[in-house]
Amino acid sequence: MDASLSHDSTPSQPEAADDARPRLRLVVATNSMDPPERDPQLDRWMVAVAMHHDREAFALLFKHFGPKLKGWLWRTGSSVEEAEEIAQDAFVNLWRKASQFDASRANVGSWLFTIARNLRIDRRRAIHDTWTSLDDREAQDVADGGPSQEDAVGQRQHDERVRAAMSRLTDDQRQLVKLSFYEDMSHARIAAELKLPLGTVKTRLRRAATLLRGLLQECRP
Amino acid sequence: MIRHHPDDALLLAHAGGSLPTGPALLVESHLETCVRCRQVVRGFEQVGGQLLESGDEQALGDDALAAVLSRLDQPIVVPPPPIVRPKPSLPEGTNWPRALRHCQISNWRPMGPGMRWSRVMVPYDPSANVLLLRIGAGKCLPQHTHTGTELTQVLHGSFDDGRAVFGPGDFDEADTDVLHQPVVQAQGECICLAAVDGRLVFDSWIARLASAVVGL
Repeated sequence: MDASLSHDSTPSQPEAADDARPRLRLVVATNSMDPPERDPQLDRWMVAVAMHHDREAFALLFKHFGPKLKGWLWRTGSSVEEAEEIAQDAFVNLWRKASQFDASRANVGSWLFTIARNLRIDRRRAIHDTWTSLDDREAQDVADGGPSQEDAVGQRQHDERVRAAMSRLTDDQRQLVKLSFYEDMSHARIAAELKLPLGTVKTRLRRAATLLRGLLQECRP
Repeated sequence: MIRHHPDDALLLAHAGGSLPTGPALLVESHLETCVRCRQVVRGFEQVGGQLLESGDEQALGDDALAAVLSRLDQPIVVPPPPIVRPKPSLPEGTNWPRALRHCQISNWRPMGPGMRWSRVMVPYDPSANVLLLRIGAGKCLPQHTHTGTELTQVLHGSFDDGRAVFGPGDFDEADTDVLHQPVVQAQGECICLAAVDGRLVFDSWIARLASAVVGL
């Protein structure tokens, strides 16, 4: 029987205290580990923002991704206030850098994920310094190949390839990748939650990461 | 040509933004020189985007959208230029990784015949154990193992630790299972950036004394 993780509390409670972060419990799996289909509208909205500074499309993206970004930031260690601020800052960044959006290498979701991740890192580092690395990293990405505007069909194929790579992991491997990479859970905590020896968690995670890398490379156009 | 890359699990953790300071600086330094690993990280970031799609949500504040919309036309505040701290010299043709530009790097200090080291002080995390080793041509580090993980990025020259040869841009991860004795190639000196989690454990008492002086 497959097992996946779910959460004891409902996630959408803005007033929830930080220590009310949901605890994990094991439940019988449905197919909830499978990556979802992406809504093709998201790509159209992003193109409208990038090409035409379309505020309506921007608002739709904000409504779709804002709560997801805040949820991820909060679950991975930010306070409710910090999660809200970074989620908002990420969208201001998305607007300002929209012309740099490279549809051939990222979809809106992964771009926002990367922006929010970098904003949080820079915020932590800026506690003692004024250095910001966000622009630096983006410049490096651009240097690897300039931005290109692909059509929505190209983007969907691209998403499909990433989906295909994820779906070729076993349920256990997907779960490990999700807990460690996306949920930012320590190896020790994963070991405790899954009742596995620490060394086994590390070995399996390493194997899953290598497999995923290979699958993503295979899937690259 | 870069032959040794960070482990995929390390790149995955980097893509999630969860690496501690020392390992993060080492991986960032490697990514600056390695197109292959930048592509790997980009692939993992796309997985992050996909997981975001199915992730749990938390409602934003009632005025969040209005607040963001009101900021869109505000002039961009240019952040103050980064504090670039003076660094000790490197051999011609070798540059400091940009990831270290905000770090304070001490002058080279002797730690044995033909061996020098320098501490990398990270302003936002003074407890991070990051250092530079500069070992002369043909010299070898004392044989040692580690109580934790040692990450190494070669900035200049090359060394052979019995497992493989590591050259400029190469990355190495050695843990408690690895007992090694890096030997610098005869052609020239070798400069490495290292992040050490835990202590190095040297076999000889002289090396132990040296490690006590260096503070490892």
